[in-house]
Amino acid sequence: MDLPDKLSRRRFMRLAALSAGGIYLFSRCAGPTAEWRFFTSSEARLMDALADQIIPPDEWPGGGESGVTNFIDKQLTGPFLRFQSEYRKGLKGIQDSSETLYHQRFENLNWKEQTSFLELMEAGKMNEPVWADGFDLKFFGLIRDHSMQSYYGSSRHGGNRDNISYKMLKLDYPFIVGQNRYKS
Amino acid sequence: MAGKSILHKILILAIPLFLIVSIGFGLFYGYWNSASPKKTCASCHEISASVEMITQSAHRNLACKECHGTALSNGVNSLREKGMMIINHIKGVADEDVKLNEVQILGVMDNCTRCHKTEQARWLSGGHSARYQDIFLNAKHNKTEQLNFDCLRCHGMFADMSIGNIVEPLDTTGPWKFKINSVSARPVIPCLACHQIHLAGMPQPRPDYSNPQNLFYGRITSNSLVSFYTRHDKIHVSAGNLPILKLWEGVRLVKVSSDPIMRNCIQCHAPNAGHQAGTSDDRTPRGVHEGFSCITCHDPHSNNARQSCNKCHPAISHCKIDVKTMNTSFLNRSSPNNIHWLSCTDCHKGGRRK
Repeated sequence: MDLPDKLSRRRFMRLAALSAGGIYLFSRCAGPTAEWRFFTSSEARLMDALADQIIPPDEWPGGGESGVTNFIDKQLTGPFLRFQSEYRKGLKGIQDSSETLYHQRFENLNWKEQTSFLELMEAGKMNEPVWADGFDLKFFGLIRDHSMQSYYGSSRHGGNRDNISYKMLKLDYPFIVGQNRYKS
Repeated sequence: MAGKSILHKILILAIPLFLIVSIGFGLFYGYWNSASPKKTCASCHEISASVEMITQSAHRNLACKECHGTALSNGVNSLREKGMMIINHIKGVADEDVKLNEVQILGVMDNCTRCHKTEQARWLSGGHSARYQDIFLNAKHNKTEQLNFDCLRCHGMFADMSIGNIVEPLDTTGPWKFKINSVSARPVIPCLACHQIHLAGMPQPRPDYSNPQNLFYGRITSNSLVSFYTRHDKIHVSAGNLPILKLWEGVRLVKVSSDPIMRNCIQCHAPNAGHQAGTSDDRTPRGVHEGFSCITCHDPHSNNARQSCNKCHPAISHCKIDVKTMNTSFLNRSSPNNIHWLSCTDCHKGGRRK
């Protein structure tokens, strides 16, 4: 009969440690929070530049200001979880290739250089090993699609800040239409 | 004897285990509900955007639990909600859009009315305090217009279910009854239909009394007090971001006020899809009152407009008539001269009053 006593004592110690550890771990969450959910600050700056290339600003805000980066960052920790590795690899690849080709980070290139760089990607003509097997083409398509989804989708997903694309397209959001079809 | 021994061992293990878990949970629960929100709810980066907004708003001194409750304050609903947040946090899935079900929304509303008693009293005295039973069991209404999913856009925007799960039958013959009776006394347009608690922007600053003459110029423009909750996307859209109605009277474009609060009204008091003036539930002012905002005359909470004429019209107007006594729908519901689109010629035929 002394076996359970010994076990319960051990278990008591273990559980007490776990409880204390749990409280400690939760309190660890109280540290400074990151600016982004998935992206690093450096990746986010690059994403802003890429988004502006995909949807250039004119009299209306471009992809960067409209929140494309926030949208993709938010979705990458939700429905786009499966694209995390592509983004990490692709964004690093863009910076590495930019350093190789222009000796500068992508966001520091002038507008035409950025456009030329992305045209190479879109055509699948990047030479660096990271872009093997058509990853340049694929990653460009991914960013383009996600930028469009952000810009033209509902702002609840993190993009289309202040419903800017709806205003540009002169669409009422929310839609104004009455349902009351009878007279009292 | 062997069975009894195993049961004995299980009991010896289970009782201390239960006690330890209870004490551990109690300690954690106590800590979580008494510590600063910055060290508890607000420490999760998933909800940092919402926390950022509340810390800048007029409600910044409220603790999260005062509106969102604790993990145990709303039974299974809150346990499930908080539990899912922890599970998603561990899984690395962002869960920043904290959604409340209708019961929780009404709980938040109870909190609103702890302080905003005047607004609550006004709301109760007006048409926006209608309950599910007032709307969905109204035989005259239901015989005239078939119940459909979009009813909930303005009447029950926080309903957790579709119209078909609330009331039956969905036809114009009736008799109508609720499928779930618990909804009958719930308000269909609670505070959060037009107000967002986590407001963007800053509250009005304290005036600079060292220079009182400058008080007017020191005011900031804020449209954030009103937001429309759109059921389709389950988000609030700040009134300043709501579209300004383009309204047509035949081929003429009506001048519509750009007042953000009116944009909120128009979301439900809307014309038909062709945006023709006076269709569906459009009451946009035209005629002598064209360009007015709804709240020029109506109190936003009670909708009361009985004192509104006095705001602009002197007791005796330029034509020596008290406007409140004129033949308009203000005085008499059956008057042909609707106050919303009253024109000069309605009363002054040929330059003279009828």
